[in-house]
Amino acid sequence: MSSSSTSLSSRTTSSGKRTRPSDVSLRYLLPSIHSAPPFFTQQPNPNTQATVSENWTKLILSYARHRRLFTLRVEDAEVPGGEWDEILRNTRINRRLLPSHLSHILADMVAKNRAVYEPAKQTRAALLLWRSPEEWAEVLHSWADSTGQLNTILTFPDIIEPPVPSPLSDIPMTLLRKAISVLAKTNRAQIISVADGEGVRFLAGNTSR
Amino acid sequence: MGALKRYTTSVDGTIPVPALLYQDEEVIASQEGVGIYDGAQKSARHQTGAVHVSTHRLFYIDASHPRSRSFALDLSHVEQTDYWAGLLRSSAKVTLYLNALPRLATPGPTQGASTNTRQNPDSAFDVWECAVCSYRNPPGLSPSASMVCGLCGVPRAAMPTASVAVPAPPRARLEPPLSSSLPPASSAHRSPRAASDPPSRVETPAGHACPACTFLNHPSLPACEICGTPLPRPAAKSAPASRPTSDDEDEGSGGEAPRMIKVSFRKGGDKAFYAGLRQSLLDKAWEGPKLRRALASTSQDPSRAATPTTASRTGIHGILQDVQTTAAATQTNMEDALQDLETLQVQAREMVRYAAELNERLTALSAPSAPAAAVEPEEAAFIRSSLAQLGLQMANAPVTLDMARDERRWHEELARELAGVWGGWNRARGVALIPPATFLLVLPHLPSCTEPPVSRRTFASGLAVLHTPPYSRAAFSARLVGLLSLGTCSSLFFLAHEEQLPLGLVQDMVGEAEDAGDVCRDEAEGRVGAGARAQEVRWWANVFLGYVWDGQAD
Repeated sequence: MSSSSTSLSSRTTSSGKRTRPSDVSLRYLLPSIHSAPPFFTQQPNPNTQATVSENWTKLILSYARHRRLFTLRVEDAEVPGGEWDEILRNTRINRRLLPSHLSHILADMVAKNRAVYEPAKQTRAALLLWRSPEEWAEVLHSWADSTGQLNTILTFPDIIEPPVPSPLSDIPMTLLRKAISVLAKTNRAQIISVADGEGVRFLAGNTSR
Repeated sequence: MGALKRYTTSVDGTIPVPALLYQDEEVIASQEGVGIYDGAQKSARHQTGAVHVSTHRLFYIDASHPRSRSFALDLSHVEQTDYWAGLLRSSAKVTLYLNALPRLATPGPTQGASTNTRQNPDSAFDVWECAVCSYRNPPGLSPSASMVCGLCGVPRAAMPTASVAVPAPPRARLEPPLSSSLPPASSAHRSPRAASDPPSRVETPAGHACPACTFLNHPSLPACEICGTPLPRPAAKSAPASRPTSDDEDEGSGGEAPRMIKVSFRKGGDKAFYAGLRQSLLDKAWEGPKLRRALASTSQDPSRAATPTTASRTGIHGILQDVQTTAAATQTNMEDALQDLETLQVQAREMVRYAAELNERLTALSAPSAPAAAVEPEEAAFIRSSLAQLGLQMANAPVTLDMARDERRWHEELARELAGVWGGWNRARGVALIPPATFLLVLPHLPSCTEPPVSRRTFASGLAVLHTPPYSRAAFSARLVGLLSLGTCSSLFFLAHEEQLPLGLVQDMVGEAEDAGDVCRDEAEGRVGAGARAQEVRWWANVFLGYVWDGQAD
């Protein structure tokens, strides 16, 4: 998965060993920009800051996908020891991302549909869309298809905590609902009320591949 | 009786004054109970009467013999006036100094439209037709107004020469020598003196002898058939009967008779009258604007015949000449204005020279003094000496921070020093002082006058500096990025030290580089264990420029 064309200054997150495609699941390859001190400062020049935000967005989403993280909070930049420390801090150059800067980046991501504030009506935490709801819908449908669960009624917990780990394990409920509603619009899913809550039945669908 | 006779015209005083006026004339002031002095002596015949001053003339209407003793005087003859307020039994008097009558005009009534009073009966109360537009000019206008056509403005007297468009020779000058040198037998009747004879004798010959070539022309011809010289006009209708010319002649050519007339105000009213008279003289209604122009360009008025431009100015030729004259006048005005501009330019160049000189000295200084921070007094000494070399001697020596520990005093000293430089510079300029506003206006022109060009930069902070090319935005940014990419140190202090520039200036310059996206900053708050020493902003080349993602790929 990882491209081998990384620069010399790219570093792995642990032990300094170069990442090989084989052990990509353990280590995250940080970009070289992460060791540039100005990367951690909010730039007054709007053009420069646009590049900074763009690279931070990419870093956050890439890291989130790698670590299967769905939520980023402003307090992750305030309190050390969280699961985001690896990218929000760079102890080697003695820099950290300031909460105000993170807040700015989050706003930028929300504006670009790469995150949504979760819960809504606050700006301290956001759901990261390293896959868009449409992409999640495809993933969901192909999972159901590949596991032979089409036309079966599944509860939400069945999807979120499947007995066999799936690409959808631990997906936030909000995101799951978005994905299902995308499928429902194209008649590939149907939301059904069941005894202990809600269920969904996936259909083969006429527009599927 | 000289002046009175020569300059005045007898009028019938029984006619009320308003009826005596021309159509374009009006009475300004009147006063009765006056006496007239002809020269210095009382004029016995004019001792009780009323004076009226109009826009054109001064009337005296005698109280006892209005018909025979009244007269009018053209104000165009009045050269100067004098006012005497009176003393004890002596009445207030107004003295009118009269101009010299053109000598030729007196003997020879040759010019059809001369302003001489004796022609008034003829020219003013005559209907005449304009040769150009055929407009029939009504009678009753003042002599001057009736000289030009009321419709097209072409001078009446220019009619004869209008078609020829040949510059008329200045007859008034040519005539006396010509006539006197001519053999009496051939043209005695044409001489000016002879012309003062009764007009009937002028008419008698079969033709008019040309004053230039003596060819006898037909009486009706306006110009000589052979050489084109304008011929004297027939004097048939111009000699007034009322004017005694014979003794007048002797006086005019002989002794210098006093050319003045006094009006003695026996019953007061002198001040109001004098004011009216002055007003009338100032207005010069007898030469209206268009008339004045016509007169200036034609030679019809004998008093103006001596002017070099005696060419006829009627017709298309005249119009063209008018246009040329106007263009020439405009040109002269433009040149005057441009001269002012040139003066300004010369001054600007001088200022640029000062600036270049100063710059040269400053650069000459900064080059050898590598250990700059070491010796402050030396620098102060240099500044003083360089200022002295520039002629900017100052009473108070330049101060540096070392000299005045107290900060407030330091600022005061600096302000005084600044004022001193400005004042010194202005003193060096002598009387051609320039205000700061002008100085600022001059600055944009500096690059074109200096080598290397000295340009002006204004920063966002409002600071404006003059700089050489190495300190232009682009050049400085390039050098700055180079410095920063060394990576050793990147604080403003370091940069100021490297660039040998004041900290504040470097701050502004780096700020502009940041605005342009050439550099970016690394602020202290982002540092995890930022100590007090690490609080300042560090500068980096724009590391985001052209950055391609080289981290984890999906």
